[in-house]
Amino acid sequence: MPGFDFSNFNRNSALHARGVPLPKATSTGTTIVGCVYDNGVVIAADTRATSGPIVADKNCEKLHYIAPKIWCAGAGTAADTEFTTALISSNVELHSLSTGRDPRVITCMTMLKQHLFRYQGHIGAYLVVAGVDPTGVGLYTVHAHGSTDKLPYVTMGSGSLAAMSVFESTWQPDLDKQGAITLCAEAIKAGIFNDLGSGSNVDICVIENDKPTQLMRNYEKPNERGTKERNYRFPRGTTAWLNQKIISKEDMKKYVTIETLSGDDNLAEKMEVDS
Amino acid sequence: MGSPFDINGGACVAMVGKDCVAIACDLRLGMQALTVSNNFPKIFNYAPSTYLGLTGLATDVNTVSDLFRYKVNMYRLREERNIAPQTLANLVSSSLYEKRFGPFFISPVIAGINQTTGKPFICGFDSIGCIDLAKDFIVSGTASEQLFGTCEGLWEPDLSPEDLFETISQALLAAVDRDALSGWGAQVYIIEKDKVTQRLLKGRQD
Amino acid sequence: MRGPTIIKAEDDKTRQLNKHTLMAFSGEAGDTGELLMIRNSTLPMLTNGFPLVQFAEYVQANVSLYTMRNDTELSPAAVSSFVRGELARSLRSRSPYTVNLLLGGVDPVTQEPSLYWIDYLASLAPVPYAAHGYAQYYCLSLLDKHHNPNISLEEGMKLLERCTDELKRRLPIDYKGVLVKVITKDGVKVMDFDNDRVVRSA
Repeated sequence: MPGFDFSNFNRNSALHARGVPLPKATSTGTTIVGCVYDNGVVIAADTRATSGPIVADKNCEKLHYIAPKIWCAGAGTAADTEFTTALISSNVELHSLSTGRDPRVITCMTMLKQHLFRYQGHIGAYLVVAGVDPTGVGLYTVHAHGSTDKLPYVTMGSGSLAAMSVFESTWQPDLDKQGAITLCAEAIKAGIFNDLGSGSNVDICVIENDKPTQLMRNYEKPNERGTKERNYRFPRGTTAWLNQKIISKEDMKKYVTIETLSGDDNLAEKMEVDS
Repeated sequence: MGSPFDINGGACVAMVGKDCVAIACDLRLGMQALTVSNNFPKIFNYAPSTYLGLTGLATDVNTVSDLFRYKVNMYRLREERNIAPQTLANLVSSSLYEKRFGPFFISPVIAGINQTTGKPFICGFDSIGCIDLAKDFIVSGTASEQLFGTCEGLWEPDLSPEDLFETISQALLAAVDRDALSGWGAQVYIIEKDKVTQRLLKGRQD
Repeated sequence: MRGPTIIKAEDDKTRQLNKHTLMAFSGEAGDTGELLMIRNSTLPMLTNGFPLVQFAEYVQANVSLYTMRNDTELSPAAVSSFVRGELARSLRSRSPYTVNLLLGGVDPVTQEPSLYWIDYLASLAPVPYAAHGYAQYYCLSLLDKHHNPNISLEEGMKLLERCTDELKRRLPIDYKGVLVKVITKDGVKVMDFDNDRVVRSA
């Protein structure tokens, strides 16, 4: 459980009482969708993060890892979706380690709803949970207050209405993998183009029985920025400066020990994903 | 009283170049419309090539910079190595989210070079720790809207350290000149793999 | 001051934190204590108003406790950081202190004078000259114009006089004079200051 720290709370409510508004958090005014098909499930998301009317991030990642075969799409307060999924991911891993079984989607969904219900909607995470487990394919939505749904196709976020209109008009039973992917991508695009809170690219995650999960980051990029016709580089020396200080590696060696490691690209950034 | 983010004023921006990064801030500290100091840097150094910029409520800039000095010093003692920018990003993120229901009124920005991979790294955060990983630039502060405009127009990929200095400086100066709460001088750090150049810019004093 | 009634006309709103460090404090709006300080090789400083002494004396006691325990004089930088930390902590408590501070001192080792501006939100900034309350609006412009980094004590006192003259001329209230203290490497001393001088309005 996150140990939330309320040490600033008194000060902030005193400020709030004096008329200071609450801070603006980055929210993923979002379109996220999910759709089951014959042998698995697809979830998809747009990639726009907003802070009020400002686009804070043009290509953020809203598909979160829970377990190798359980993934989550998040809408609502960005930090909440990020940390709630990370927390549940840890607990799901510990749970599967202690039971010696593959984690189930319904377990994950239950942990999420119990966590969110406890916080009475103050943790603003709206999630689509999807995955495959020994019991079959699972697709759920979880709201910030703790309510959940189980449906063959789902949408959430500010673009959910636009996305749902695509599902309601074109979804049919017995979709195949590519059909589900295309349908989800179309639904997300409906959000991207019709909802102001959603935009940029389409991310897709396909979780299939007996196959490794595929995360297709930027599966579609319908909003690529054109390359600039000319450059606005300033001639060197344009900016006037009053003084400078140069700290070189040689100088640093006076104060700290520097060891150069091999430039192995994967050393620092490699993340363990399922095989 | 307005938003706590707008009481003291200030701006910060970070940009990626070719094998280099830059981070810059203004120097103003104000109380509403009154300028109290024109020498209040908002960029703090936590390792030879890891920098953290903090804008927002000045008292929280002080508190949070002190807090991370403590946390990073403890990290260095424990691990006997310097903190990488990515590691600092996760530290900042989780430290801010810990205060989800009583946040610090700040918008942090990280710029640095990972000494292991040699790759540049920048990122930004909202006040409750959501990381904004960008490949181009990060802006924060009362001039953030102006900075979005200048950076979007001036930034281009693979700038050399010298060109990156001009681009980030002009982006910042142009932005703070259109913000009454920011400006009064500026500071720029150009971070290369084994060299850091710190410059004090000549900026408008109005 | 309590409401519109002046309770005490002469009140020292400073506390000496150690041999080389002096802290001046003023309360929240309504208790319009004006504080003004100039940094140079020596430090003139003036205050008036009424006490918000609890916090100041708590800090004073803890600074001397630290000095006794560790047999080390804290530098003004260290003291200011400590004071800021305590004010920030108090701000997060049930009954926070609403106090603006100016902290001036001479480093016992480097002999460098320094001045710190701390407001009731616990923002800290090292500055060459500072003021709190309405004095800021009247005096900072004068200080901007006439202060230089190498200003002497005499020039500093002159500049201070300009500031108090301006306060007498422009402040709608009678702030009952000022108390001027100077911090040097030898310690803190009270300066003679003519509070009865009549300033003609323009």
